[in-house]
Amino acid sequence: MSSEKKLSFFINESKSLTESNFEKNTRIAVIGSFTLNGLAETLQVKCAELKIFSHIFTGGYNQYNEEILNPKSNLYSFKPEICFLLLDTRTILGDLFFNPYDISNNDRKNFIETKFNELANLISYFSEQSQCKIIISNFVAPTYSPYGIVESKTEYGLQKMITDLNSKLLDKFKNNPLVFVFNFNGFVTNHGQNNIFDYRQYYLGDVRVSLEKIPHLANELMSYVKPILGKNRKCIVLDLDNTLWGGIIGEDGFNGIKLGHNDPIGKSYIEFQKHLLSLHKRGIILTVNSKNNFDDAMKVIREHPNMVLREENFACLKINWNDKVSNLREIAQEVNIGLDSMVFFDDDQMNRDFVISAIPEVLTVEMPKDPSQYVPTLLKLNDFNITKITEEDKSRGKMYVEQRKRTELQKSTNDFNEYLKKLDIKLSIKNANEFSIPRISQLTLKTNQFNLTTRRYQEEDILKFSSSDDKIVECVKVSDKFGDNGITGTYIIIKKNNEEWIIDTFLLSCRIIGRGIEDIMMNQIIEKAKTAGIKRIKGQFIPTEKNKPAENFYKDLGFKQEDGFWVFNTNDTIKKPEHIEMVKNE
Amino acid sequence: MSEKLYQIVSNVFNVELSKINDETSSENLEEWDSFNFYVLLDEIENKFNIKFNLDETLEIKKIADFKIILEKYGVDNYQ
Repeated sequence: MSSEKKLSFFINESKSLTESNFEKNTRIAVIGSFTLNGLAETLQVKCAELKIFSHIFTGGYNQYNEEILNPKSNLYSFKPEICFLLLDTRTILGDLFFNPYDISNNDRKNFIETKFNELANLISYFSEQSQCKIIISNFVAPTYSPYGIVESKTEYGLQKMITDLNSKLLDKFKNNPLVFVFNFNGFVTNHGQNNIFDYRQYYLGDVRVSLEKIPHLANELMSYVKPILGKNRKCIVLDLDNTLWGGIIGEDGFNGIKLGHNDPIGKSYIEFQKHLLSLHKRGIILTVNSKNNFDDAMKVIREHPNMVLREENFACLKINWNDKVSNLREIAQEVNIGLDSMVFFDDDQMNRDFVISAIPEVLTVEMPKDPSQYVPTLLKLNDFNITKITEEDKSRGKMYVEQRKRTELQKSTNDFNEYLKKLDIKLSIKNANEFSIPRISQLTLKTNQFNLTTRRYQEEDILKFSSSDDKIVECVKVSDKFGDNGITGTYIIIKKNNEEWIIDTFLLSCRIIGRGIEDIMMNQIIEKAKTAGIKRIKGQFIPTEKNKPAENFYKDLGFKQEDGFWVFNTNDTIKKPEHIEMVKNE
Repeated sequence: MSEKLYQIVSNVFNVELSKINDETSSENLEEWDSFNFYVLLDEIENKFNIKFNLDETLEIKKIADFKIILEKYGVDNYQ
């Protein structure tokens, strides 16, 4: 926690930022009930580290009600993409903060009910008016009570008031994709109330999060900014010796490495692995990059009684004597994931420095020397956040193992077409519905390689498109004999007029590229268009740094170039892969 | 002490070291606003490992005032 830079660093650094050389732009508003100075500058610098230029709006001191309720306020004219609403317990409780027991327990209950309704209405109104992502902080439960130890014996006491308000907020917004409740109370617990709240700074300048902790708070807020702007990471690359177990397998041997419940060092490694496994189970891809004899290391992974992570948890195992950088590049290629989606764990400083200098896009974690600090180091990373966990996320780990088996089949089959036939690919295309919309949005946010236009859409955008008469939003489910890939492709069509349709979005998850799925999807679009009497289908290829795999897609299918668009005449025939079975649309 | 103090002030306000002296105050330095002053206070306290009380804090109008308090806390001129 102490590794954070000082506030003055961020304030000065933010002054030298200019809007150039950034990959993305965003607009972030920070409003709330107390002094928020310094937060804007810190957020700006932290965004810049991710190559995001952020315009930041800081609300007036305790002006959040007016700013939200007045549609002509500066908040609305700023048009934020993300808004943080930070409130504190003192403000919400007013004088009851000091004397909660001046009123009856029933009145306390009513008070909280009223405050909750005010707040819920305010946020709902703001959400409808702005359509931006809103992150509201929950409330910090006071550790002081005028009743002292009898607090716990009191009906609807001070503690209960705040925890009740917090749980009401959670319930209210649980299913709202635009509103998130930030666990500010958890943040304060983590750092300690006495460190967060500095009475002198509070009396001096109404500072309610001490200046020293502002950068830490900004870091917590970045947990939301990263996934909303698609800057989250998806894959962890792990060294083995002194990273997943203590000692060196080549020297200490199977029985000599430290990985056991009865030894403090061994226990650190076991717990580190347990946390990695839990990340894997919600969709983070695990891989190995280790300098070792393959057989020695695999024996531990397969047979060691205390290993938590096993072969089936790894999408790729690079255990050899090649350098770590080449291995990392190969892993990226084999798993088919961008280097900027990877996080690298290695206890060896030299390896880390090598990776940092050769592939700066990879997040190389500064591993502490002490293995007991591995777990807190891992838990501190906020790069794996996603705004919604879909069914595809939960089974992703399994899917990557299936992928490894496909690769093995491919290696044993000489002819690629023969291999495709052996896969028994089944495909179904469906209209977007409430179950698939979160996944479709996620695909538009995350897919970089086979993505013709790279347009990013939030869930509410997709919802709007799918209920609009002049658009078609469909998604593709793919399975084969090794397993189910889930929803892995989507397209959005704009029905421009009676003659012409425009392909707004067309993308395919990288793990199923090259199996003819994309051709079937286009066939489906063309057939649909023909049925509707449409003459021409127009599409665009918008090149990015990453979408080269899709570059020749239109050309190969017989689209003709015309004024910057690729155009297909629906009277023409289009090639159709034979090895894929279309499952009847449900 | 002076040099270390000036250095901190220069860093926090992001102004050249040569522009900082004992008479530097919110009157003659644009960067010295109320919030930056809190940041400065926080930095000075951390670097010298002391904590000013509220009274002392309110007395500070210029850099020389910091020195008086630092001396009171036993930070000598050579530190």
